[in-house]
Amino acid sequence: MFTRFKHTTNVLFLDAKSSDFAYEKGKKVDIILSPRMYWVKKMTLPVSSVREVKKLLPSLFEDSLPAAHYSYTAYKSGEEFLLFAYEDKKVFELLADKDISSADIASIRFAQSEFDSLENALSINAQESMYKDDGLLVLVPTTWVKESQVMALENLKLSKHTIKLQQFGHIVDKKSLYKIGAILVVLALILLVEIFVASSKLSGIEQAKEALFSKYKLQATMMQNRSTYTKYSKIYERETKLRAAIALFLSMPLQANQKITHLQYKSKKLFVVISGVTQASIQPLLSKLQANKLKYTTAHQGTGMKVEVSL
Amino acid sequence: MNQVNPLHIGALLLVVIMFLFFKLSGVKEELVDAKVSFGTSEKLAIDLQALKSVYANKKKSKISINRILAQSSIRAAKLILKRDKNSIRISSASIDTRTLNSLMGKILNGSYNIVALDIKKLNETKASLKMEIKW
Repeated sequence: MFTRFKHTTNVLFLDAKSSDFAYEKGKKVDIILSPRMYWVKKMTLPVSSVREVKKLLPSLFEDSLPAAHYSYTAYKSGEEFLLFAYEDKKVFELLADKDISSADIASIRFAQSEFDSLENALSINAQESMYKDDGLLVLVPTTWVKESQVMALENLKLSKHTIKLQQFGHIVDKKSLYKIGAILVVLALILLVEIFVASSKLSGIEQAKEALFSKYKLQATMMQNRSTYTKYSKIYERETKLRAAIALFLSMPLQANQKITHLQYKSKKLFVVISGVTQASIQPLLSKLQANKLKYTTAHQGTGMKVEVSL
Repeated sequence: MNQVNPLHIGALLLVVIMFLFFKLSGVKEELVDAKVSFGTSEKLAIDLQALKSVYANKKKSKISINRILAQSSIRAAKLILKRDKNSIRISSASIDTRTLNSLMGKILNGSYNIVALDIKKLNETKASLKMEIKW
């Protein structure tokens, strides 16, 4: 039961000038950043929540930091706010320099939050110590402090104040990244909606087609329907042509001695025999056939003429 | 502490968007094809229904022909009628030309599928007739 409160991770104090720390590859570590790795301000602000403070952080540090790409964080300490600025890139570079795998890092915190109740100076390397001055943890040469203790991290009770490093923050600004990401996501959503609408329309058309088949009692496939249509449209064309051809012959300007004596239709051909037709009187009849663009052949049969029309 | 490179997320989103673009263009193409196909089917269905109502309606054709043949002037001509499942053959060795005119006027003005016709003039008032109508 008591083992529950023991550290399951190692605690490391990360400073550019100290190399004396116990890091085992593959074992999780809680990193405490040395005051050298961040900028801190203690301020009383006319706002109540940390969220409101975070919005103001870039402007609060604006004039006091050298030009670089900073990340910011803050937390409340009593009536005041502790404001932090740090460079993710520098921390990552130092972690890489110390050969600490990012997969092994359980958390990253500031020395300010972890040594909040520090009373004496703590030496961080042979030359430097840190101590609290007006509530803020600062680095000073060890020679400046009367007595400096050795840092013991094993029994240190860690606070809840951690930070998350932006590994690619220096490549692209977080806000811009969110904006671009949001635009791409919105675009993807628009496309999804478009696909959904088009698919709905498609299924609507499919349903309408099914209703069409049922309404007009069509056969199962369009091939069968086309075949039936071709069959009946051929009959329609042939019958129309037959009636037009018969009407044409019946309206021909025949002379008194000219008569239609035989009219026969078989195998898509119409045969008409007109009696009393001579070479001299044939022309008006042929002109009428030509005017109606009929395919015909003529042959003399006794005293008459036989006309064969292909329909 | 392992973080995903935002450029990788961006690339993934771009790939997703490209995939969606392709998918959308495919669906839109299908939609255009479906609209064209529906239009063609609708026109075919309407035309086919019109043609079927004329040439595939056996009952209607039979009733109509019987009505013509039942007319007193035509019935008096004593035409020879041979009916089978799909057709009717009408013939007469000698029919009055007036009756023939009346009969042919009615047949040719109706939508019947005439597959054979043979009219031969015998003299000024008489003619022979052979006709086959299918349905």
